[in-house]
Amino acid sequence: MLSIENLKAKIDEKEILKGLNLNIKPGEVHAIMGPNGSGKSTLSNILSGKKGYEVNGNIKFEGENLLELETEERAHKGIFLAFQYPLEIPGVNTNTFLKTSINAIKKARGEKELDAIEFLKLIKQKSSELKFDQAILNRQLNVGFSGGEKKKNEILQMSILNPKLSILDETDSGLDIDALRIVSEGVNSLRNKDNSFLIITHYQRLLDYIKPDFVHVLKNGQIIKSGNFELAKELEKVGYENFN
Amino acid sequence: MENQIKSNFEKIISKLNFSNLQKEIKVKNINNFLKKGFPNKRLEDWKFSDLKQIISNNFEDLNFLNEINTELKKVEIIEELEANKLIFVNGVLSNVDFKYENLEKIEIEKNADLNEEINQNALLNLNSAFISNYLKVTIKTGYQFKKPLVLYNYLTEELNSSGINTRLDLDIENDVALDIVNVSNKSSNKNFLNFRQKINIGQNSILKNYSLDINQTDSIKYMHKEINLSKNSHLEYFILSAGSKFLKHDINCSLNSEYGSISLNGIINLKNDQHHEIKTVINHNEENCKSYQLIKSVLSDDSKGVYQGKIFVDPKAQKTDGYQLSRALLLNENVEFNAKPELEIYADDVKCSHGSTSGNIDENSIFYLMSRGLSYSDSKKLLTNGFLNEVIEKITNENIKSFVKKITGIEV
Repeated sequence: MLSIENLKAKIDEKEILKGLNLNIKPGEVHAIMGPNGSGKSTLSNILSGKKGYEVNGNIKFEGENLLELETEERAHKGIFLAFQYPLEIPGVNTNTFLKTSINAIKKARGEKELDAIEFLKLIKQKSSELKFDQAILNRQLNVGFSGGEKKKNEILQMSILNPKLSILDETDSGLDIDALRIVSEGVNSLRNKDNSFLIITHYQRLLDYIKPDFVHVLKNGQIIKSGNFELAKELEKVGYENFN
Repeated sequence: MENQIKSNFEKIISKLNFSNLQKEIKVKNINNFLKKGFPNKRLEDWKFSDLKQIISNNFEDLNFLNEINTELKKVEIIEELEANKLIFVNGVLSNVDFKYENLEKIEIEKNADLNEEINQNALLNLNSAFISNYLKVTIKTGYQFKKPLVLYNYLTEELNSSGINTRLDLDIENDVALDIVNVSNKSSNKNFLNFRQKINIGQNSILKNYSLDINQTDSIKYMHKEINLSKNSHLEYFILSAGSKFLKHDINCSLNSEYGSISLNGIINLKNDQHHEIKTVINHNEENCKSYQLIKSVLSDDSKGVYQGKIFVDPKAQKTDGYQLSRALLLNENVEFNAKPELEIYADDVKCSHGSTSGNIDENSIFYLMSRGLSYSDSKKLLTNGFLNEVIEKITNENIKSFVKKITGIEV
């Protein structure tokens, strides 16, 4: 589904990714762990098309050259990024935003857009699955949301848009144990043989709930080791500094 | 240009039947105007909007002729809003329609006399010199309007005069509730319009005034409002400034007795070479009054926006609560935004604040929305609409709020 070959990225002349390789097949859950400054967020930004990076290398998503696509085209094709710091959008109602988003994607795919009733039905179902207080959806997007509410809102968006590849950028940071469980359940409920996940995190904790198929260690702009869930446990014990 | 105006004045004064006293007042006013001319940027109040320059750039010749009374058969603007109407055609009152109200509670004087006060404001001098019928409306004590009152300013193609002056005084007695909408029609005319309104709000009365400049026009407009508030009265004022080529709102409010309150909110939304200004002065003259102002501007292309806001607090006005915030979104590097917030405080037990920010649209927010499938232009539109929607949400008349959302396309 996703193949990254020798990916290099610079921002303001500073090299952040230094030849990264990664393959994700349909239905797989991959975790990337790494210390601060290792390039984790840069990777997720580049995958979703954020401007400002000088990028070299190849990224193929379902056979297509991802680097040639605009951010919104990537979303239309089924890439979703759960933001580490979801942005507050004052004046925009969360429901209106969700409806605009899902219908923009449906329209781009040539599918029928949802009317108000279909949309409300979908929202009701998804928010009750995620134990998400629907009253929040009548508030301005992320404005005044607690850290946990923002992250849950990202997961709600993910579950409504049902992407093929979901990238979770440190979604676990700042979550309490209950929110962490809800977020994990959201991810697990979307897991199937077609949907893949790339989970970026500092800690093993989230992985205890999600149980990834593969764990990669990102250090200094490169994946220095890959393995299964056992690798995460080892990492937690040894620490990033001593890990080679 | 001044000579032209002088000869127009002499023609009008000899043709129309004014009393000697009225003539005398008009002559004083025209002389005052001719002495000062159109205000230019050397005057502090006009430093960001040089009207003299704007007039000379837009009019080779500015004349003030006497317009005849034309009754409109059909009014095609905002028919969907059920409302009473006062229609000014080419500056002259033509239609009076209070069909939803008890007429005994509304008093209309169509040719009110000017009083002798001579104003320092040259444009008000010009207005007093030329208005031929000056309208005074009184709303009697205890009357609550059933529907809003729409004040239409309508220009027809057959208009002779390039300059138009209108005046309306509104006397709202005690315990009255009234909602007013100001609008003008879409027109291909290029005129200079000089509006003056003087409003008194009686005790316990509530006035909601929605001033909507929504239709594209090449006209140059000046709108002067003087609003006086009595004890325990409330003013809600909303500005949508988007249609005219040039428009200056000059709003002067005085809280003259205890427990008065003002909520003044405005949007400046411009493109091309439009230039709009909102200037407010809120005088806190007595104790325990509140004023709140929120002005948001979105500027595109080569447009220019200005906000000058002053809160004055008299030594008597203890326990004043005054708040003022201006925020501007600059969508192009060629736009210009000027803000001049001012606090002038002579009392010691007050709470006053002001703030002003201006900046570009946040690219991270754009990225966030695009990552959810929205195009760049849709993301930008959603962000600017959200930015402006905060001001629209301040409108407390729900019908008018949804009307404003509909005409602006801001439904977020």
